[in-house]
Amino acid sequence: MSGQNESGRSVMLELDQVTLNYQSSKGTFDDGVHHVLDRVSLQLYENETLGIIGRNGVGKTTTLRIMAGILAPTSGSVSIRPGKTASLLSLGLGFKNDLSGRDNAMLAAMLQGASKKLAKTYLESIKEFSELGDSFEEPVKTYSSGMRSRLGFTTALMTHVDILLIDEVLSVGDAQFKQKAQAAMKERIQGEQTVVFVSHSDAQIQSLCDRVIWLESGKVCAQGEVGSVLQEYRESINRASLA
Amino acid sequence: MPLAQYFRLVDIQARMLLKADASKFTLGYLWWFIEPMLWVAMFYVVFNVILDSPRSGPDFLVFLATGKLAFIWFSKTVNQASNSIVASHGLVARINVPKSLFPMSAVQESCYKQITIYALLAVILWFFGYTPTSKWLWMVPVVLVFYLMIVACSLIGAFLVCMLRDFAKVIPLGMTFLLFSSGIFWDVREIGDPEKIDIVLTVNPMAYMLDAHRQVLMYGNAPDLNHLLQIALGSIFLVIVMIGLMRRYSQLLALKVLT
Repeated sequence: MSGQNESGRSVMLELDQVTLNYQSSKGTFDDGVHHVLDRVSLQLYENETLGIIGRNGVGKTTTLRIMAGILAPTSGSVSIRPGKTASLLSLGLGFKNDLSGRDNAMLAAMLQGASKKLAKTYLESIKEFSELGDSFEEPVKTYSSGMRSRLGFTTALMTHVDILLIDEVLSVGDAQFKQKAQAAMKERIQGEQTVVFVSHSDAQIQSLCDRVIWLESGKVCAQGEVGSVLQEYRESINRASLA
Repeated sequence: MPLAQYFRLVDIQARMLLKADASKFTLGYLWWFIEPMLWVAMFYVVFNVILDSPRSGPDFLVFLATGKLAFIWFSKTVNQASNSIVASHGLVARINVPKSLFPMSAVQESCYKQITIYALLAVILWFFGYTPTSKWLWMVPVVLVFYLMIVACSLIGAFLVCMLRDFAKVIPLGMTFLLFSSGIFWDVREIGDPEKIDIVLTVNPMAYMLDAHRQVLMYGNAPDLNHLLQIALGSIFLVIVMIGLMRRYSQLLALKVLT
């Protein structure tokens, strides 16, 4: 890994020509091979907040999963600065449905490397911030999607990771919690936190991100300053809906 | 992941699963006793009441209970462990964890349950006049080796189901085949031809393990240590290979689970 780029900022994580294909069931196009990402290269700098935008199914979540080391690219390389951990925060997933919110939070914290003792100290603040009250002790399968996102968001917020990968979690929940989550996120981002942020909300991208990448059909379409990339993206969507 | 953290996670996940499992049912933890009791009751009705053959009697009931209650440990664990990685897709999609964590938690969970089942078996044996003796200490190596066998098969099952979901259909069928072929309802030692007995016990480690349970608990005979050691070494070899494969292909397994 280069360590530092021209502008002097140090690289936390780098994707180089990353391609991801997978074989799905027979009978689909191209002999069942799906092409999710096609030679995606990007760099993530320390303490920055990088936004990823794009329409549904262009590979945003897959990019995050590759960054988190959950999936390996078919070709290309991923390098993360040694000793740094990345964790993915996404909706609807990540819970064992039969376990209580408390057990899930405990498990998530421990899977991210916290000791049992440390994980236990997180639990009360997770319960408090998520405002789940008694539901915290109930199985997650009884939760509404808003409650799930509260738990997921809070668990990730409270446990320490070097790179936080956020997949559209700020977009649900009621208005009051959304505001609180955004404020907490902002505070975290302004501190020493490197964040990759996937969202469909222009306002969130604008207020939280330093830089943005636009993905289209598994490729990087544009990247750079937030305002101009967002504008390009909006224009392309408008063109597509007019056509 | 450090080894200590790995084992802590296996244990904590197993305990959480037990708690969650018990909370699903009105009778909760009582099911740990009720289920094996019902098995024995079922055997009593079928073999001692309906099929009133010359074999019927308390001895045959104990014979069946010993075989079945040991076998249940293997079949339930392997079935559950095989689906454990796929069932944990939520966590697999979010964190890059060692995939063996999930089948190992399933193994650990059923270990806790099996303690009560073995205790119940001891009570049944005692009740029917098979008084515990110091010979029962032979159960320590037998149970240990049986455990290794369960771990090996659980890891293999979990890996196969991940790679090809169709194995989820095949594995329960395999269990039924083992149920009938491993001498739970019949005695391996009653096969006329001694050579055939040897072959069955060698080819099918399950038949050997169940026979060893009965030899120790019912007849006070020591197990064939050489044979036991061979099964142990074979199992350890498979466990090492499977853990290696799961580490090597951790991300491929995740991709298979998620697509």
